[in-house]
Amino acid sequence: MSDRKLPRLLQTPAVLLLLVWMLIPLGLTLYFSFIRYVLNNLRRPEWTTPSISNWRGFGNYEFVLNNKDFVLAIQNSLLIVCSILFLTVILGVVIAILINKTFPGQGIVRVLLISPFFVMPAVNAVLWINMILDPVLGLQGIAVGSINDLIGSLREAPVIGAFFSLWPELEPISFRATQTSAYAVIIMVTWQWTPFAVLIFMTSLQSEDQQQKEAAVLDGAGAWSQFRFLTLPHLGRPIAIVVMIQAIFHLSLYAEIEIVSRGNGNKNLPYLIGEFANNNIGAASATGIFAVILANIVAIFLLRMIGKTLME
Amino acid sequence: MGRIVLKNVTKSFGNTQVIPPLDLTIEDGEFTVFVGPSGCGKSTLLRMIAGLEDLTSGYIEIDGDDATQVPPSERGLAMVFQSYALYPHMTVRKNIGFPLRMAKMDQSEIDKKVETAAKSLNLMDYLDRKPADLSGGQRQRVAIGRAIVREPAAFLFDEPLSNLDAALRVGMRLEIGELHERLQTTMIYVTHDQVEAMTMANKIVVLQAGVIEQVGSPLELYHKPRNKFVAGFIGSPKMNLIEGSEAAKHGAQTIGIRPEHIDVSTTDGMWEGKVGVAEHLGSDTFIHVHGVEGCDPMTVRAAGDMSVKNGETVFLTPQSQNIHKFDAEGLRIE
Ligand SMILES: Nc1ncnc2c1ncn2[C@@H]1O[C@H](COP(=O)(O)OP(=O)(O)OP(=O)(O)O)[C@@H](O)[C@H]1O
Ligand SMILES: [Mg+2]
Repeated sequence: MSDRKLPRLLQTPAVLLLLVWMLIPLGLTLYFSFIRYVLNNLRRPEWTTPSISNWRGFGNYEFVLNNKDFVLAIQNSLLIVCSILFLTVILGVVIAILINKTFPGQGIVRVLLISPFFVMPAVNAVLWINMILDPVLGLQGIAVGSINDLIGSLREAPVIGAFFSLWPELEPISFRATQTSAYAVIIMVTWQWTPFAVLIFMTSLQSEDQQQKEAAVLDGAGAWSQFRFLTLPHLGRPIAIVVMIQAIFHLSLYAEIEIVSRGNGNKNLPYLIGEFANNNIGAASATGIFAVILANIVAIFLLRMIGKTLME
Repeated sequence: MGRIVLKNVTKSFGNTQVIPPLDLTIEDGEFTVFVGPSGCGKSTLLRMIAGLEDLTSGYIEIDGDDATQVPPSERGLAMVFQSYALYPHMTVRKNIGFPLRMAKMDQSEIDKKVETAAKSLNLMDYLDRKPADLSGGQRQRVAIGRAIVREPAAFLFDEPLSNLDAALRVGMRLEIGELHERLQTTMIYVTHDQVEAMTMANKIVVLQAGVIEQVGSPLELYHKPRNKFVAGFIGSPKMNLIEGSEAAKHGAQTIGIRPEHIDVSTTDGMWEGKVGVAEHLGSDTFIHVHGVEGCDPMTVRAAGDMSVKNGETVFLTPQSQNIHKFDAEGLRIE
């Protein structure tokens, strides 16, 4: 037992640092969430400094729960995170398998595939919302416009014109609208984070045992069975890693939401925290605690699900 | 059933020809062993039979039907790999049942067959473990179980025991031998271990650089090696090959005499030499003798209680009926 002491001793500084790093912010957030603390209040200037004498109990939590945007923010957080996870994992697995085969120009294709990951989130959002998704000036607008033009001119054609005049005029989708802005965020973040998934899955695929595959071929497993019973379980752990890391990152999405719609119909928890933090630090902290709880629930739930389905 | 015929089979990787045209017939129920030095193409040949490697030319017949273009899963052959190649995420039960599941067999029937196989391989206690929690020998038995349940026309083994320790290897060797006795199915077994080859085979195929040097029963190869390569390769320790005037006396370019066919004496004999290293194995003593003309050192096998010291003079006499003679091309002279 005594030879365990030295390693423990040597670990202590790192563990202490980590604890301080995590516990102080968490402790402060907890503390602020139970007191009245605002940045600006002319009638009650004592609330502008954090103090235990301003104790509010669960008042901040109640205030947040009753806020009309709170439920929407939770729903939206979940919608955005789960959709992104679902899409990046599926796209990541498919692309990783496709580019894992050797083909000419492999190196360039791989670098190009990874590149979205190096774009800054805010830039990514600006690019997508203005240049691609914009209903008039973006690629989407141009594409829809030209399809409409094409159909329009086909309507004039002699025989087939009658058929094409049955077709409706296509409407471009406005991704800044209340109902669709979350989809814009999902699309742009998926585009940006798929490379991360591809990168992780590709490294894992390269360590796959080839003799197992040959054994499976001899056992009569086709391509699908090999994927289902060998590759997918082999990818179970990397998928769990991708899901965990992305869940942590995307629960705190902010820049994309700010740029796409300024939170209009598209708030998530961090955005709500940001809005509260303009003045009401107490409410912002209470929301933060809700966010921590949500993150834990999501993480546990997702890991259970992956563990069950993939590892047999 | 499992008669495998290779006709004019060749294999090249890029521009290097690994297997020059090769013909071989493996009869139904035979235990055939491929031996040869590392890199001679044993695995390649086996993988070609299994269908994992395409033929560059020639064709393969299994039970009279051309199987050259038949996909591996439909050849009815089961392979056991050196690395076991078990499916790491499945339990032993699922591993063994996997080929049946792929054949879309009923679950109840799969369970029955898996249990039967597991019983015969002493795996009943491990059915719900994952491969990572098994010992090397147990893993190898699972791999064999996975091959057995398919009831294949032939089993292909690629150095299945080389990852095991010596004691376990002897045990598994016997088990595979018994399996062959029981099933009477064709087995092709790749190894570079002489003892495995000699003890298990009905028929040994000696390969060198993709060329078949000799095909025959273990004792045929031991008593009548077709050429110098086979003579040196089969038998342990290696046959002593003697050139020069001693060989000329027998009218040959080279003569060969096995260590166990030389009588050792401290008083008189045909050849005289000095003891180099003496290896005492208990049952036998292998003595490396220096100074015999045309062969240095000469290895001889003496009785276990023979006590000789380094530097001591000994006299060696070959048993004349056991001398092998080879001509200038290295071929055997009768
Ligand atoms: N995929 C490949 N590409 C190119 N050359 C190969 C390939 N596979 C095998 N070879 C070559 O073919 C030759 C025979 O290889 P093989 O694996 O059949 O040897 P082996 O007799 O099984 O040797 P060992 O006893 O070491 O397993 C070797 O020279 C090897 O370098
Ligand atoms: Mg080999």
